[in-house]
Amino acid sequence: MTEATVATSQTSSGVIAKPGLPSQDGKVLISMRNLWKTYDMGAEKVHALHGVSFEVKRGEYLAITGPSGSGKSTLMNLIGCLDTPSQGEYWLNGKNVSEMDDDELARIRNQEVGFVFQTFNLLARATALHNVELPLIYGGIPGAKRHEMAKQALSAVDLTDRMTHRPNELSGGQRQRVAIARALVNHPSILLADEPTGALDTATSYDIMNLFEKLYEDGNTIILVTHEHDIAARARRIISIRDGLIEKDETVR
Amino acid sequence: MSPRSDANPEATGFGRRTSLPGRIRSFPALRVAALWESFLVAAASLRQNKLRTGLTLVGIIVGVTAVISVVTIIKGLDQTVAQTFSSQGSTVFTISKRPRVITSREDFIKFNKRKDITEEDAEAIFRLCTNCWRTGVVANDGVTVKHGNQKADNVQVRAVAPTAMFDIDAVTVDIGRFWSESEGSSAHDVTVVGPDVIANLFPNQSPDRALGQEIWAGGRPYQIIGVLTALGKIFGVSRDNRIYIPFATYKKNFGLNISRGAFSASGVLVVFIQTPTAEQLEGAEDQVRAIMRNRRGKTGRDEDDGFAVESEDVFLNLYSSATANIYLVTIGVAAISLVVGGIVVMNIMLVSVTERTKEIGIRKAVGARQKDIRTQFLIEAVMVTAIGGVVGVLTGFGVAWLIALLIGFPLLFSIWSAVLGVSMSSIVGVISGLWPAWRAARLDPIEALRAE
Repeated sequence: MTEATVATSQTSSGVIAKPGLPSQDGKVLISMRNLWKTYDMGAEKVHALHGVSFEVKRGEYLAITGPSGSGKSTLMNLIGCLDTPSQGEYWLNGKNVSEMDDDELARIRNQEVGFVFQTFNLLARATALHNVELPLIYGGIPGAKRHEMAKQALSAVDLTDRMTHRPNELSGGQRQRVAIARALVNHPSILLADEPTGALDTATSYDIMNLFEKLYEDGNTIILVTHEHDIAARARRIISIRDGLIEKDETVR
Repeated sequence: MSPRSDANPEATGFGRRTSLPGRIRSFPALRVAALWESFLVAAASLRQNKLRTGLTLVGIIVGVTAVISVVTIIKGLDQTVAQTFSSQGSTVFTISKRPRVITSREDFIKFNKRKDITEEDAEAIFRLCTNCWRTGVVANDGVTVKHGNQKADNVQVRAVAPTAMFDIDAVTVDIGRFWSESEGSSAHDVTVVGPDVIANLFPNQSPDRALGQEIWAGGRPYQIIGVLTALGKIFGVSRDNRIYIPFATYKKNFGLNISRGAFSASGVLVVFIQTPTAEQLEGAEDQVRAIMRNRRGKTGRDEDDGFAVESEDVFLNLYSSATANIYLVTIGVAAISLVVGGIVVMNIMLVSVTERTKEIGIRKAVGARQKDIRTQFLIEAVMVTAIGGVVGVLTGFGVAWLIALLIGFPLLFSIWSAVLGVSMSSIVGVISGLWPAWRAARLDPIEALRAE
């Protein structure tokens, strides 16, 4: 990586924190304060979340689980800055995301969040390399450096020999690894995975979860949204959501 | 939190949190990378939908083709007109029964009721006009000319007197000679012939061989004594398909039933007057008009002249008003086809936005701003229409070239009309791309990701 010129501070855990930010106390990365999300369905208002508060520290491996309709997808969209809360505050990496406009949210998604989706969500017409470059393109990284970073990201997920393949030439597991490379290429603060193994067979799921484990050990903050207990069990902390509220918040390992 | 496998501070392997603080990392306002991405995506999308792209473009192509061909043709004609008329200058005017151009049936009836221009009128002008330099009288007719079993159709006959008329017409002989004043006035059966007639009657022969030969026109033989220097075409009409004969000869052979003509029904007497300079033209016109009004007994100030006084200015004015009208019509045609074309492009762009909702969602999820999505679709719309513009310019040039070839005038392909065509269509692209691009940009990323 070529960011060596920029000052970073080493913490005792080996995680490099971003200095001088409000959330620096105790390395809190995400701070949710009494989060509400209300959908206006014509006559009635549907409260998808009613008052959710929690914190996530840098370097955590967190799973959010709950049955469908529990509000976990809504929560994921909020964490991923695809949506803003109706009420409450969301601080991500020292920034109050809940007050941001569309373009600022785009910037946060570009630089602070790496998405991994159940259905991969790769551009069908683009090569693996181009897919991985996409966040860098919108981040304004110039061509040569962009290729370099994307190649490195792909080799980190063992896809060095598949860079010029299009998604339909790749297996499900390979596609998900491309998606993971894309999520990580811009060095986001959080890796946000929504049912990342939902479309994969058991063996491939196992591989992908091992990759997440490795990424966690490398110091990445991972938030996993899933309804599968054995997948959630791979995380170190599990937040269970039910009816728009946190039912349980436990450190499991 | 579980104990972590502590990272080597020096390690720069992928996935280590060695990234920069967000506020230091770049997120510039103008991103060449994103723009280039938009270009590539647009080009790929157009390539993938070749037929659709082609059909989308029809309206734009028609509009641009219309503008480019008309502009190119008229520019070419302008050049011809400028060369033909400014070289002579407008020092010549004519007195005739009716104007050369009649725009309504009422006028035609009115002009036909006028008295014919007579030899006496011409003589009066010769005698009385002090501002006139050269004067001549011409009986125009049309005829088929024959030699042996060769013939030339629709030959213009100009029966002229005196020989100064050759100077007024600005014609010269290439081979042979004009008739002398005495030959003319004593009605010799001689003729000076245009090169087109020679080419038709004496094919594959040197024009010299035609000298002294007889040609038949209106049932009478005429001896060729001269061949005219070629004048070329104007507006596709050859000025070399004519013969000159002496006025007295015409009168001797056919009498002067001027309103009907001898050879055909088109013989009309016209008096030609030339002044030394263009500045003196108006004075001479006034004088001749006074002489003629006097002869026609027109005293009332508001009364119609009863004859037409015309200089080449009349023709030039007519030409410029005609071209102005053609431009107007073209602008109308182009505007309609561009509006229709623009609507088609807008429709296709809306379809494209719907088809690519998922893609838009993905791009937004990884950090594309509204502006980026908007730009992407705008670029696609402009790219489509600019291609239409280029094709339109090329077909427009092609059409102009074909017409120029058929009519016979030189063409100037101007880079400016090409620029005009492409920028015009690009503007249509921007306008018709705005709404689809805005819709694409405003898509909710969550909804968009859920598409398909």
